[in-house]
Amino acid sequence: MKGNLFYKIFVTYIIIILLAMATVVFQVTGQIKTKLMDKIESDLTVYAEMINLTYSKEEIESKLANLANLADARITLIDAAGNVFFDSEAPALEMDNHLNRTEVQEARVKGKGSAIRYSHTLGIDTLYVALPMVENTDIRGYVRLARPLYEIRKTVGAFNMLIFQSFALVGVISFIIAFIFSARLVSPIQEMEQFTRKLKDGDISGMLLINSSDEMGRLARNINYIVTELQEKVNFANEEKGKLEAAFSSMTDGVLVLDNQGRIEALNNSFKAIFGIRRRDIIGRTPLEAFRNIELENAIDKYKETGLPVAEEIILGGARNMILDVSVSSILGLPKGEEKTMMVFHDVTRLKKLEKMRVDFVANVTHEIKTPLKAILGFIETLQEGAISEEDTARKFLQTIRKHSERLNRLVDDLLAISNIELGETPLFFESVALGGVVESVLAMINPRAQEKRIVLTKDIPEDLPPVNADRDKLNQILLNVLDNAVKFTPESEKISVTARLHEDNNHVMVNIADTGIGIPKDEIPRLGERFYRVDKTRSRELGGTGLGLSIVKHLMKAHNGAMDIDSRLGVGTIVSLSFPIFKSVEES
Amino acid sequence: MAEKAHTSSVYDRALQSIKENLLFAGALAEQAIQRAMTCLLERDSDLGRNVIDSDMQIDRLDEEIERKCLDVIALRQPVAKDLRFITTAIKINAHLERIGDMAANIAEKAIALNEEPQLKPYIDLPRMSDTAQQMIKKSLDALVREDCDLAEEVIKADEIVDSLNDQIFRELLTFMMEDPRTIHRALLIMQIAKNLERISDHATSIAVMIIYLVTGRNVRHRDKMEKTK
Repeated sequence: MKGNLFYKIFVTYIIIILLAMATVVFQVTGQIKTKLMDKIESDLTVYAEMINLTYSKEEIESKLANLANLADARITLIDAAGNVFFDSEAPALEMDNHLNRTEVQEARVKGKGSAIRYSHTLGIDTLYVALPMVENTDIRGYVRLARPLYEIRKTVGAFNMLIFQSFALVGVISFIIAFIFSARLVSPIQEMEQFTRKLKDGDISGMLLINSSDEMGRLARNINYIVTELQEKVNFANEEKGKLEAAFSSMTDGVLVLDNQGRIEALNNSFKAIFGIRRRDIIGRTPLEAFRNIELENAIDKYKETGLPVAEEIILGGARNMILDVSVSSILGLPKGEEKTMMVFHDVTRLKKLEKMRVDFVANVTHEIKTPLKAILGFIETLQEGAISEEDTARKFLQTIRKHSERLNRLVDDLLAISNIELGETPLFFESVALGGVVESVLAMINPRAQEKRIVLTKDIPEDLPPVNADRDKLNQILLNVLDNAVKFTPESEKISVTARLHEDNNHVMVNIADTGIGIPKDEIPRLGERFYRVDKTRSRELGGTGLGLSIVKHLMKAHNGAMDIDSRLGVGTIVSLSFPIFKSVEES
Repeated sequence: MAEKAHTSSVYDRALQSIKENLLFAGALAEQAIQRAMTCLLERDSDLGRNVIDSDMQIDRLDEEIERKCLDVIALRQPVAKDLRFITTAIKINAHLERIGDMAANIAEKAIALNEEPQLKPYIDLPRMSDTAQQMIKKSLDALVREDCDLAEEVIKADEIVDSLNDQIFRELLTFMMEDPRTIHRALLIMQIAKNLERISDHATSIAVMIIYLVTGRNVRHRDKMEKTK
């Protein structure tokens, strides 16, 4: 569909052409008509003169038919009173008085008269010419010749036909020329219009292809120049924006940007991950609407009051349970009225946990050491104050002192073991170890205690299990610690089973130690490897644990490139899964 | 509400300020329950006393919101959705205030329980409080987003809390029958469960109000009506 401009130009052209043709037709036909009329009039006048001069009235009457034929006209003879007494075409007697006819009156006054009237009988304009018949200055009558203007009609018709034919030809040609010309004039404009519309819609690729040296061409070149500049600037801006966006979205800290109304305007991926929200749920909302976190509100209020950057610690409650460092500050360099606020959230949950662990550790160590020490000191004091002389009591006291000293010793040994493993100072001698034998010896060690509680120990180790790559002593210690725990926390007459199998990946051997004991609450499981962490503090200590057993296992498993996994249900039992890498000889690896 | 601005921006600000105060009260209520339950589960009595003290804050907000709502009614003669918002705000406000009181109640009982050894490991109670807290959170989110689907979720979740309450009741009954010394503690736990159940009822009422606010449709007595049909 061509645009409006094309039609405007095209229609203008056509109107001009039609007007020109119409003018020509009008002028020329007018001219032709006048000329022919003049000629016919003079023609008829000549005939009338001739009739008047040549013939007497009687002669005319007799030769009238011939004369009328010759002159190609209707001849009417009228007497001075206006009565028609002869007519070449109609019976004279029936005709009315002709004295008042224009041409007759004119002839009477001027000596010659003419008129054009529409003849109803013939249905065409007819030219009348009248001359007076004079005899001795007296008017005896009038000769009137009338000729219907068939000739003019025919000539003008023929002429019009000719003109129409040639105009039709010229018209078609000029129509085509006008079409082509308008199209050529308009097409670059249309092209530019389309191009600029595309620009307006944001697509700034491409160029105008208009080769012309006129104004159109220059306009196109100017547009091209502007577009090239724009493309460069946009590309530059996009690159910068891309860099900033990449930095913004890949930051590990969560970022939230508030607009001048205090509504959320932008956020990055980390923020979404930390708060576990969908972008569309919070965009355009205030932080209060979005999070309803009192501490965050307080931080924002504090920032609003002081206008200075604020750093606060907030707790994200609920299922997430995170501790975040939030800093609220303004984004600099924005015009007045468009101030934005930026909030950066840094996850410090792990740090806080580690901090707490360190504090707990010191408190635990002092506590663990102090308890036996106090007992030892107390008994020694009692001995010093005289009990030493009573041999039985003294012996009992010494026994107790020894028990507590051993406990202290065990504690220090365990602590040393852990710190050595952690520091990597415990030498591990990796060799091919067959699990079956180790489990056998550990079970033999643990069996007496299990029998005390009437716990049934079962084992299921396949004969064809490949040997594992481990330090024999440490493997012993790992299994002993885990089984020791199992025996401690399994009520009387329950069961403990040790099973082993090859893992699906064919690279690990899984050892499962399952008990039907009291179980461990789910949220405590991740903390089990922590030093001095006890699920039930009082009971565990009664049972003589140092709170370091599983911690040692965890560290040893790590040193073995293995893994420990604990699955437990309260009241149902616990399964400790240990995975050891299988032994591969040097050639194999 | 802020979607379609009124000619008077003061009016808009008044409505927005009511909404913000409501959400703040909601946030305080959420926090109060969270802390009261932490007080119970981690045997941290200080946190419980904190909850009881900060109930004052919710009460003050309650008065403020009510005053602001009455101001708007008196000065602006709200119509259509604004009128629904104001009436809803007054009701939600009352519910939030009650929730705050109940959180303080839970904290009181938890402090009393912390004086004695733990009766049993808590399993259903945290589940119940998690659900109740989720319900409050969702109902307030529904208010912010004007989201009826979310409000419907809250209404459905009420059943879970109710059945957990029954379960706790039955379990504690067996404890009490076995050993009369546990009766005091069991009753305290039962009261906590009852309070949580009431809290979830309040959250349900808020959700119903929000459906009314958004759609103008009242689903308050839907269940009863369906039963009588």
